[in-house]
Amino acid sequence: MSNSKRITLQQAAEIIKNGSSLTFSGFTIWRRPMAIIFELIRQGRTGLHLIEVNGGPQTEFLVGAGCVDIWESCWVGHELYGKYGANLSRRVGNGEILVEDYSHAEMMFRFAAGAAGAPFSATQTSLGTDIHNPAYDMLGRAGLRDGNNPRIPRHKYRFVDDPFYGAGQQVLVPAAKVDVAVMCVQQVGEEGTVRVAGQYYSDPEAARTADITIVMAEEIVPEEYLRREADRNTTPSFEVNYIVECPFGAHPTGMFGRYDVDGAFLKDFYGRTRSQEGFDDFAKEWIHGRDHLGYLDKLGWPRMLKLKANTALNYSAREKKGE
Amino acid sequence: MGKEYAAPGEYGLADLLCCAASREVGDNEVVFAGTGLPMVAIMLAQKTHAPNLKLIFEAGTLDGRPPEIPTSVGDARCEMGASRASGLYDAFSIAQRGYVDLGFLGGAEVDVFGNVNTTCIGDYLAPELRLTGSGGNPDINSFARRTVFIMVHEKRRFVENVSYITSPGWRVKKWPEGELVPRRELYGAAYRGGPSAVISTAGVFRFDEESGRMYLDTCHPGKTPAEIRELCQFDLDISRVAGETEPPTREELRLIHDVLDPDQIFIPRVPQG
Repeated sequence: MSNSKRITLQQAAEIIKNGSSLTFSGFTIWRRPMAIIFELIRQGRTGLHLIEVNGGPQTEFLVGAGCVDIWESCWVGHELYGKYGANLSRRVGNGEILVEDYSHAEMMFRFAAGAAGAPFSATQTSLGTDIHNPAYDMLGRAGLRDGNNPRIPRHKYRFVDDPFYGAGQQVLVPAAKVDVAVMCVQQVGEEGTVRVAGQYYSDPEAARTADITIVMAEEIVPEEYLRREADRNTTPSFEVNYIVECPFGAHPTGMFGRYDVDGAFLKDFYGRTRSQEGFDDFAKEWIHGRDHLGYLDKLGWPRMLKLKANTALNYSAREKKGE
Repeated sequence: MGKEYAAPGEYGLADLLCCAASREVGDNEVVFAGTGLPMVAIMLAQKTHAPNLKLIFEAGTLDGRPPEIPTSVGDARCEMGASRASGLYDAFSIAQRGYVDLGFLGGAEVDVFGNVNTTCIGDYLAPELRLTGSGGNPDINSFARRTVFIMVHEKRRFVENVSYITSPGWRVKKWPEGELVPRRELYGAAYRGGPSAVISTAGVFRFDEESGRMYLDTCHPGKTPAEIRELCQFDLDISRVAGETEPPTREELRLIHDVLDPDQIFIPRVPQG
């Protein structure tokens, strides 16, 4: 019974169907569920709709591989290892992908509404910007706001005057509604309790918003261990549908207390994937024709040990930053 | 013990920017910082004249005291000595609630009213180049009492009209029509202030309270007001120039290069001798 949620990486990717809406754990280049992302690319998933508080390497890999039709978010790049999202930029320029821009706080508040089961959040952020330019409602322009897709709200945003305290114009942003949240964390219990170490970013809201939550963890630990100090846990067991054990599953992104961001890998990815041919070549080298263990084999122990975090500092003291 | 300023040649432009930005920070202020040079500037202030500043990173570390520079706001180093490690909901709620005195941000393009673009270059519907997107830029600029931007100065970046208003300046668009209105009028009760300075690689710029227009405050050493006006597509007010930007002190340079950023991630060392 205790193992009923445990599945393999391949099975986890199979749960995500063509056309699914998806969101992920983490922040920019930290704690992204890369091993499942690579598996989705191997399985040739198409038509995905990403709804993310912010993007990162996971977005860039899926977009580069042609898995994504719609991206709703606020930011994509690799921090100091890649100035912007070269694959997204290329596909936006070619008209191959629909991008709906919100601000970071708007996306966060959309997930907070989704997690609370509310239809929208009210905020004042980004007033006066082109984020609210009606001509730039891209899903509306594409005729997708007709109410037929349960994941696409009828409006990008609405303005309303504060009816309670007279605080003036407010922006209503629609709740995020997603099919699957894919999380990547340090520890999950056999029944699904999640313990994130370090900043939890927007993980609790992402996990709660989704209809199906898949948690990929560095290690699966006994539930009773996590339940001894419940105040340290971030997501309760019943919000999690499936668990996958996958050490180094966030590589090349980093994981607090476990390993650092592989900056050299991201720099190489950013540099080589500024053309589609470059992306295809990179995918052939690192993703296709191998599984997660094959990927780690190719990476090699010296590189993984260099990234390994010092348990007192929670980051690697070996990795020279900026490389 | 007077300040010992570094001589020209002992510091680089990035050092000057970092020190100028650090001087915008007051002690005991709550400061919200983005990745890169803004981060170094704030940590420099924390180690010099503003030891009691409260540092917030949008990934969710509140009041941290990182001993060395984090590579991004999501980095494990952000959490060292923090009062609380949480997430984005906390960070943005704190900003919207009105706790933030000062925001530090970057941008690709800026207009005369301090509207900033980090989304795309060219027509939004068919962009020449798609950039990173907004991130927290509009959010911090909407809610902080004042915001400082750090930017590379090129004529193509100081423009009459930005390609896309990602982040609100002193005159903003009132939708659905999109007419430009003073920020205070649109923000109502949520109004707290706006962009207070742009620190570019050419000089330090501020904004007129009444008109919301940018003016040149100080020129970096070696630059003239006329030269700097030529580096803007809009008509830059150079009638209020107060002089030269204060150079880094030797102590500030030591902190930047020996303590904060020894690996030269964000600030290159100028070769000495």
